[in-house]
Amino acid sequence: MESTNHQFKSIDEFNVVSDVFSQAITGELIGMSNFASLSGTIDDPHEKMEAVEHADSERQHAEGFLAYANKIGLNVKINLNGEYWGRVRKVFLKYSEKNDFIACLIIQEVMLEAYAIAMYSDVGKALKGGPSKLFISIADEEKEHMDHSTEILREELEKNPPEFLKKFEEIHYDCMTILAEFSATSKCESSCGVCQGDCLKLSLDHIDLDVTTMRGNALALYAKAMDNIGIPGEKSIQWIANLPA
Amino acid sequence: MSANHKLEQLDFAVIGHQESWNDIKAFINGMRSDDVGDLSLEQVKNTFGYIPPRSVFKMKVRSKTDALIHGVYIETFIEPDKLGMQHLRTNITKVNEAIAVAQSLNAKIIALGGFTSIVLEGNLSTFNTTETKITTGNSLTAAYILKGIEKASKKFNVDLKSSNVLIIGATGDIGMACTNYLKGSVKNFLLCARNKRRLEKFSNEISEGGCSVSYDTDLSRLLPQADIIISAASSNDIAIEHYKKPVIICDAGYPKNLELKIAKTEGISLFHGGMGHIGYGYDFNPDYTKHFYRYPLPHIGHGCVLEAVVLAFENKFENYSNGKGNISNLKIDDIYAMSIKHGLELAPFYNSKGLWT
Ligand SMILES: NC(=O)c1ccc[n+]([C@@H]2O[C@H](COP(=O)([O-])OP(=O)(O)OC[C@H]3O[C@@H](n4cnc5c(N)ncnc54)[C@H](OP(=O)(O)O)[C@@H]3O)[C@@H](O)[C@H]2O)c1
Repeated sequence: MESTNHQFKSIDEFNVVSDVFSQAITGELIGMSNFASLSGTIDDPHEKMEAVEHADSERQHAEGFLAYANKIGLNVKINLNGEYWGRVRKVFLKYSEKNDFIACLIIQEVMLEAYAIAMYSDVGKALKGGPSKLFISIADEEKEHMDHSTEILREELEKNPPEFLKKFEEIHYDCMTILAEFSATSKCESSCGVCQGDCLKLSLDHIDLDVTTMRGNALALYAKAMDNIGIPGEKSIQWIANLPA
Repeated sequence: MSANHKLEQLDFAVIGHQESWNDIKAFINGMRSDDVGDLSLEQVKNTFGYIPPRSVFKMKVRSKTDALIHGVYIETFIEPDKLGMQHLRTNITKVNEAIAVAQSLNAKIIALGGFTSIVLEGNLSTFNTTETKITTGNSLTAAYILKGIEKASKKFNVDLKSSNVLIIGATGDIGMACTNYLKGSVKNFLLCARNKRRLEKFSNEISEGGCSVSYDTDLSRLLPQADIIISAASSNDIAIEHYKKPVIICDAGYPKNLELKIAKTEGISLFHGGMGHIGYGYDFNPDYTKHFYRYPLPHIGHGCVLEAVVLAFENKFENYSNGKGNISNLKIDDIYAMSIKHGLELAPFYNSKGLWT
């Protein structure tokens, strides 16, 4: 393993940064797997290729994070079957098995992406130097994914608003409930299976972050993403209000 | 917000915020289904200050003329404990985002409710180029305050012409409008605000018009002389002590906490001013009224909100109340007349203890 002279102020900071990278890499690999499954749900050859391309882009993000983590000697754990990521993956598969391309797009490109972009932006601002640049640049790439799918979802909403809203609502409760529990401001009830020491959420102060802000920013981005698709505020506020906190 | 281009045009939008975190909690828990249970105050605080402004319910309002108009309520999620100057930039952003939501919904006129008009300080230039018009609603608010004072004085046989009228927040938009309107109808003005230079300038203008004026930045020096008080200041630190008895108080400011600051209410007839009653009712969809509606009678609303409703009934889409110090007596009379035409009248007198008996 190549190692650099990256300085951590304390062992606590090292552990938190390790856990942040572990969550990011696991999340990207979930994204990669989701896009790979998604490619199977698509008939249009161009869109199929695009899904594979997206899967590859998530793979590259995972590799980028992993390479950097190795470079600075972090202690990374990858677990696609952990408590929350495993449940997210299962929800995704439920829809991909039904060849429901739109549902898959909603989960991956709106819900998971909102959380990823918000988390990477916050971490990018909190960390310094190389890790900061890495998180910010990946957040920017994820934003492009989100913008692209917003166009598709907006068209889908316009075709049949009641049906689209019904579908979105069902997926919201299936998927966002997990992400809301994952990011709840209290300690995880059982280990998430990715963090290695204390619950990451309660240790974020070692890198000048806190879970309340990160969760708030993620929900705000999710709310804005719903606005951009054209989901009425009356719906989105009700859905957000019904999430666990 | 670029979505939903095909929406029908809404007549009006109301932009507002809640007065306390407990109000936000009640509102949010009102949206939660029974099986997920209520959120605690802490959980609500940790989440909803981050949520960008959005439409929360749609409204239909009926006029005496049978007209029916459609509107929307947009919650800014301005945090009730962050109204101070240090949060101004965040709050302006939220109000601007809320205006953008109203525009994306094709609202023809926007009412800036409560604190949201104050944060913009009349700076609406960014939005003037669009089709959507914006009003602070302060003309109708002033009209309801003034009608309230007139009616309450009659009720207690108080002669306005021989009364000392204290205006707290005299240099504000509503305070100036009320003072200007009452010129020539009262014995003496007692004007109060914190900024001495502005207060002095405005008081001089009023006295140059031939009115008797005393002014002071220290409220306690004016209170002992006041027969009637109009409070039109958004402040938490206004204390009503050592006042003259009896006294009529119209509390039109926000947050509504004047009563809490009055040690003994003996000799005080206090009502919440600037409020109107929608005679022909309204429907909300979804209807959360039971979770946030706090008035002792149905169909009560703020003058600032009702101004946009009245203008929409009249198809008069213009920036009717805009900026600070631009409310003329004519504007007050006109909007009040329009309000009456559509069955929107001064609300019955009430305060936190309920309706006046
Ligand atoms: N009932 C309704 O429907 C309705 C509608 C609209 C507005 N409102 C409320 O009415 C109030 C006035 O609105 P506005 O648009 O006129 O606001 P504004 O233009 O900002 O004026 C506020 C006035 O209050 C003064 N002030 C603030 N704190 C004070 C204090 N502690 N003691 C004495 N004066 C004080 C300010 O001057 P200094 O800064 O110099 O003290 C200024 O003169 C606000 O609270 C608003 O929320 C009610």
